[in-house]
Amino acid sequence: MNEPRQIPIAVPELGSAAIRFSLWHVEVGEHLTEGDRVAELLIPGAIVDVSAPTSGTLIDRMAHPDDPLAVHQVIGIVREDY
Amino acid sequence: MAGRAKLISRRSPVLGPLRPPEGPAERSRASLRPADEVMRHVRAEDRGSTENAPPGEAFPDYVPARGLTAYLLGRLDFETLNALQRRLIYEVSGDRDRGAVIVCDHPVGITIGREGSAAHVRPSAEQLALRGWPVRWVARGGGTMLHLPGQVTCYPIVALDALRLTAGRFVQELLALAVDLLGEFGLTGTPDYERPGVRVAGRRLVHVGVAIRRGVTGFGLIVNVDPDLAPFWDVRCDGDPMPMTSLARESPHRVRRTTVRQRLVELLAHRFGFDRLSVFHNDPAPLSQSRHHALPHGS
Repeated sequence: MNEPRQIPIAVPELGSAAIRFSLWHVEVGEHLTEGDRVAELLIPGAIVDVSAPTSGTLIDRMAHPDDPLAVHQVIGIVREDY
Repeated sequence: MAGRAKLISRRSPVLGPLRPPEGPAERSRASLRPADEVMRHVRAEDRGSTENAPPGEAFPDYVPARGLTAYLLGRLDFETLNALQRRLIYEVSGDRDRGAVIVCDHPVGITIGREGSAAHVRPSAEQLALRGWPVRWVARGGGTMLHLPGQVTCYPIVALDALRLTAGRFVQELLALAVDLLGEFGLTGTPDYERPGVRVAGRRLVHVGVAIRRGVTGFGLIVNVDPDLAPFWDVRCDGDPMPMTSLARESPHRVRRTTVRQRLVELLAHRFGFDRLSVFHNDPAPLSQSRHHALPHGS
């Protein structure tokens, strides 16, 4: 049987060079549905929600509040449902 | 219909891909190009047209208009605003070609966005209570803001993917819109890209703070039209040590809030390429069929 895939949660293109991590909406181990709001990023003047890329379980959180981020940087990992 | 197609086919040459400007000079140039120019190009693309298509075949007969619904409301407390805004975000997220904007003002109070700090509020908790200034931490970008009578708030609710804008570009468009507004009152506004807002004569006059959920914008900008400016010595709005100023203080022209409200909506519709504007003067929440109770102003 195939192992469930691990899908990264990456920083989307936001049109700003000054991206910071704001907060997590979910804990490690929580089950997510694709499209769920999982985290919040901050650029000057705006907050932007990040959605779950797939349905599964959040198994890692790699960013902390106020961390500077780059576009496409991975901030978390979701293990897909079987 | 043919006339409409002809009008669109005379649009300016294809614009380049939308990239966020990097330097101040590029940002300045970008702010001069309204997003509706981009939108015309985007919409033509969506119709499957090409520059070299034979006349009469480039566009379908019917081009659906993109509509902006403007709610020109009076004083809204934050709970009412949040409920209305959530509802409109939900509606726009399901119909991404439409847009909405809430124009209102708020009761006296302080809001602190994600870039703000309690350190920007000088009065103690007791003094704030005596003055009747509640403090709210709100989920939006931007910093601390003091809300007073005499301000106009403008909260556009649009889907960024439908406009093909990034979050950063949307903030820049709001700043450019505010600069355009100030220009109509004879003022030269200087956008602040680090702590988004617009300054006149070195003092902030416009505050910008946005929240983007499911790709749909919420909150937006606040313009000081003619508030009492003395209280701004007690709150460092957006962390700025200088108190905010107002249109009434800086402009050589007569400034009326109704004019500012109307022009904000019109500038917004133009900048984001909305063909049709409907204006309502009531909060739709208490009415079961609010659209039947108000007359839209077609444009």
